[in-house]
Amino acid sequence: MAEIQRRAFVKGAALGAFAFTVGGSTVMLTPARARAENVPFRLLNRAEADAIEAVGDTLVPGARAAGIAHFIDQQTACPPEEALLALRIANGRPPYINFYRVALKAIDGASSKAFGKTFAALAAADQRSVVDAMRTNKAEAWQGPPGPFVYNIFRSDAVDVVYGTMEGYEALGVPYMPHIAPDKRW
Amino acid sequence: MTNEKVDVVIVGAGASGSVYASVLARAGKKVVLLDNGPDWQLQDLISSEIWGRRIKPAGAPVLLEGKHPMGYTSQAGWGVGGAALHYFANFPRYLPTDFRIKSEHNRAHDWPISYNDLAPFYDKVAAEIGVSGDARQEEKWRPAGKPYPMPPMKTFPNGEVWLKAAEANGIHFVPAAVGMTSVEWKGRSACLYDGWCHQGCPIGALANPVVTYLQDARKAKAEVRPFSTVTRVLTNPAGTRVTGVEYYDYNKQKQFQPASVVILAAWSAQNPRILLNSATDKHPKGLANKNGLVGKFMMTHHIAGTWALFDEDITPHMGTIGAQFMSYDRYAKTSYPNAFGSTFIVAGAAMKTGDYAAARGDLFGPELAEFMKRAARGLTRITFFGEGLPRMENRVELAQDKDEFGMPMAKLIHSFDDDALALWNANFDQGVKVAKATGAKEVWPGKGPVVPTTHLHGGAIMGTSAANSVVNSFGQTHEIPNLWMAGPCTFPSEGASNPTYTIFAVSQRGAEHLASKWKTVST
Repeated sequence: MAEIQRRAFVKGAALGAFAFTVGGSTVMLTPARARAENVPFRLLNRAEADAIEAVGDTLVPGARAAGIAHFIDQQTACPPEEALLALRIANGRPPYINFYRVALKAIDGASSKAFGKTFAALAAADQRSVVDAMRTNKAEAWQGPPGPFVYNIFRSDAVDVVYGTMEGYEALGVPYMPHIAPDKRW
Repeated sequence: MTNEKVDVVIVGAGASGSVYASVLARAGKKVVLLDNGPDWQLQDLISSEIWGRRIKPAGAPVLLEGKHPMGYTSQAGWGVGGAALHYFANFPRYLPTDFRIKSEHNRAHDWPISYNDLAPFYDKVAAEIGVSGDARQEEKWRPAGKPYPMPPMKTFPNGEVWLKAAEANGIHFVPAAVGMTSVEWKGRSACLYDGWCHQGCPIGALANPVVTYLQDARKAKAEVRPFSTVTRVLTNPAGTRVTGVEYYDYNKQKQFQPASVVILAAWSAQNPRILLNSATDKHPKGLANKNGLVGKFMMTHHIAGTWALFDEDITPHMGTIGAQFMSYDRYAKTSYPNAFGSTFIVAGAAMKTGDYAAARGDLFGPELAEFMKRAARGLTRITFFGEGLPRMENRVELAQDKDEFGMPMAKLIHSFDDDALALWNANFDQGVKVAKATGAKEVWPGKGPVVPTTHLHGGAIMGTSAANSVVNSFGQTHEIPNLWMAGPCTFPSEGASNPTYTIFAVSQRGAEHLASKWKTVST
């Protein structure tokens, strides 16, 4: 029994992609592909996804196209012991979606206080300003987990989807040299 | 449901539990290992920073409190193999001074054993699971022992750039002793130096329990039960003997596993949690806790990592996650004025892209993108592990919050004292001096508002009697003879060396003693 369960548990890893639901069926896609194919979100609403993409791209250019919102959506929707999020390594407490929702509210609250708009609606320079205030724990009207912690988690997620993949290594000229290669991008 | 009685039930299939399982199963005992996570196999260990998180802690988190909370999650494990499935495998020994800190400095407490008591077991472990290094060179700092079974690992520019600079600052580096294969050994492949150690090494070059002690234990008919979460150790009505453990299986059904001997080899925060949660009318404060010392004296190393960035290509991605070079030249407890404690120094760890990004956590946007390109060619680090002394107030308690099985979560409260913080700062100063001497283009200390920590020890420390400790030097609790503790929870002080080699050696010693005294202990 345990062996069967273990194999089921690692199914995603063996296929090297994440399980997304498309048209009622489960398909294995990378987050970038899931975004390109406009796969519906399981937990995030459109505004939350837009905010994640905006925060991600401000932190790490390319995070939007790499599918950061689909990555977080898929990872927060799966059982927490299967989650591969940086939040898990930062001792986050499941359900992980709660952290992201509270953090996004805090970011939008700080954006509204500073510039009168949600984060996703800000100009790029203003987005940088909000992120820097969050990083240094100086964001006004901040209500949520500590700003530096939120910064670190979103930054790690963005680094994951942009640089943590085989393509990301290739873009930096770093040989990936896998023992067991993750299929496709990871 | 009650299972068939076995000789030994071991809680936790990580570094220490696997040693006990191997020794006792080979001694003919019927052994069951319970682990709360999956039964990982080598083919599960995918080379990916993202997928590598699957083997990190899952389930109810440990609640962290104190001025300097212990950041445990990236270094702890989940599932069979435990943290040793993905450890760095730096294998420095503790030095004789670590066992005599009270005698030599009137600080903390001595171990009830000396270095010489443990030395044969260091040698035995090296022969058993394989260590690469040059013992003769490191005997500059410690008593002589047997040579390591394998020659030192290969080195690369990201490690070699530190040698002259360190020497100029009075720090002599020698090849790091590591639990990895520099050559093919006992059927295990030689290391490929691709740095995928922290995600688990599927070729068996890393001496993780799956290819060492657990493999031996399974061959000797030890049974491993994954997804088995232990919540309590049960006793007889008189409270004089333990009778087995209560656990929840994969289907979240409660089970009872009777055993003649129970060994808690979970993790330093989990072992006290189980003892405290096992309170009875005869043990109202928890098992083995009449003196109130269960969960006390939690210790962790602080880390001072200093970065150097070169324009030249120094192959930051090459090597292993551990170290190419190591030094004990700041190990003396009084190496720095106005600070106290040992420091162990390493250089030359292979890095992944996540490490590059972490090296400059302040950067984001285009500046981060530019830095990543430079880091991919020229980034390297020197790391100083520093000792924190045991303090009674650093402790594990049961929290109000409960996990899915109704078991109170563990609350880990930890703060460094002034000596430890002074040592941490001194290690940064030293690291920056060395880094500048490398001629790197840029040098910076990896210092922020949070003190980085690694390696958790204490919680059920060993000592000479129930007046000063929870267990004796073999891991047997003073109060209940057939209840044993294993792992770094039993360490009364932590030195500054990476602990796993010592965990293996202490466990080997304890397990052999238990096997030799089986009749006395089990009946």
